Amino acid sequence: MKAAVNQKLTEMGERDRLKELLRAKLTECGWKDQMKAHCKEVIKQKGLEHVTVEDLVVEITPKGRGTDHCCLTSALITAPGRPPSTSR
Amino acid sequence: MKMEDMPLSGPDNTKLESLVHDIYSELVEDACLGLCFEVHRAVKQGYFFLDETDQESMKEFEIVDQPGVDIFGQVYNQWKNKECECPNCKRLIAASRFAPHLEKCLGMGRNSSRIANRRLASNNNMSKSESDQEDNDDLNDNDWSYGAEKKAKKRKSDKNQNSPRRSKSMKHKNGELGTIVTSEPYKYNFNTGISYETLGPDEVRSLLTTQCGVISEHTKKMCTRPTLPDADPVVENDGFDIPDGQTLMSRLQWEDSSDISPTDSASSKASTNPSDSRRPKKKKRPSLGLNSGGGGGGGGGSSSLTGGSSSSQSNISLSTKKKRPKLSAPSIPSIYDDLN
Repeated sequence: MKAAVNQKLTEMGERDRLKELLRAKLTECGWKDQMKAHCKEVIKQKGLEHVTVEDLVVEITPKGRGTDHCCLTSALITAPGRPPSTSR
Repeated sequence: MKMEDMPLSGPDNTKLESLVHDIYSELVEDACLGLCFEVHRAVKQGYFFLDETDQESMKEFEIVDQPGVDIFGQVYNQWKNKECECPNCKRLIAASRFAPHLEKCLGMGRNSSRIANRRLASNNNMSKSESDQEDNDDLNDNDWSYGAEKKAKKRKSDKNQNSPRRSKSMKHKNGELGTIVTSEPYKYNFNTGISYETLGPDEVRSLLTTQCGVISEHTKKMCTRPTLPDADPVVENDGFDIPDGQTLMSRLQWEDSSDISPTDSASSKASTNPSDSRRPKKKKRPSLGLNSGGGGGGGGGSSSLTGGSSSSQSNISLSTKKKRPKLSAPSIPSIYDDLN
């Protein structure tokens, strides 16, 4: 069922819309800057020259997931202006 | 498929929530990945740490968070209570009032000249000085008034000497009125008003030969329009409702008027007739010409007037006064009374 939902979302373009919306909200609430600061620390730790994408991802993602999402979840769900969709 | 349209029953609800949560975390992971790519690219391109300079500058421009000071560390009302010394008058002026004070003090602002002139005008009016007529003529409008109080503001003779406008207006009007002005070295003050009664006969004559002289009832101003010797009678007549303007002129012609030749010839002809017929219409005009007839003699065709001294003036003034017959009636007769 989850696959079906995902597929539907993608088809309708809702997924992309949600993604953009999420990005905007994260930036707005400062999540992005927080993450960036964390990145800086990681980079300073690891050294500027040898940082790889994988390193960053490994460091950032759990932290990113851990910081407060709950409000964002509901905000995303009840986001205004959601276009009407066909029933499942 | 709208999420919020999902039925929120028990089992479905949890399913829904978990579904939502899953989708959400996927989106968040996507965002994180995006961020990582961004940072990695910045690092590899070398612009990631650009906003961080050396420690010294960082300390210098740190954000300040103290009370009474803005984030740059500057005090808000630092200059509020300071006093500045005016270079002109050497007084201590508050900082916020300094600029307007300078404007007035140096006499260079927009309003400073206006205020100064008004002040000077009122001062001069108090002392009843009679200013130079030339200035008044040049800078006034065509009218000058009786009432001193009313026209105090229009006195321009005492305006700021360095004002650019002054030189402009002087140059502009000198050509027009210069000649007239120089020929009339009167002592009375144009601005403070003129009364024909106060002037002597010679003054009145010379005044009225060169200017219109009509005094407006409404504004009590005398018209200073320069008169042209022979052109006006003909021109003015066109505006009349009288068919025979020439005869009218002649009716009011004084005997020894030598300036106006066209009307001279007619004077002897139409001495009495037109006047009678026109009396109802032109009550006031005849009164202009009358004086020797004894007082404001409303009626009479007194073309054969003897008080010739002011004949020429009356002709000219009449010709130019034809457009305003009523206005001149009240005052003129009294003047001519005096002459007799």
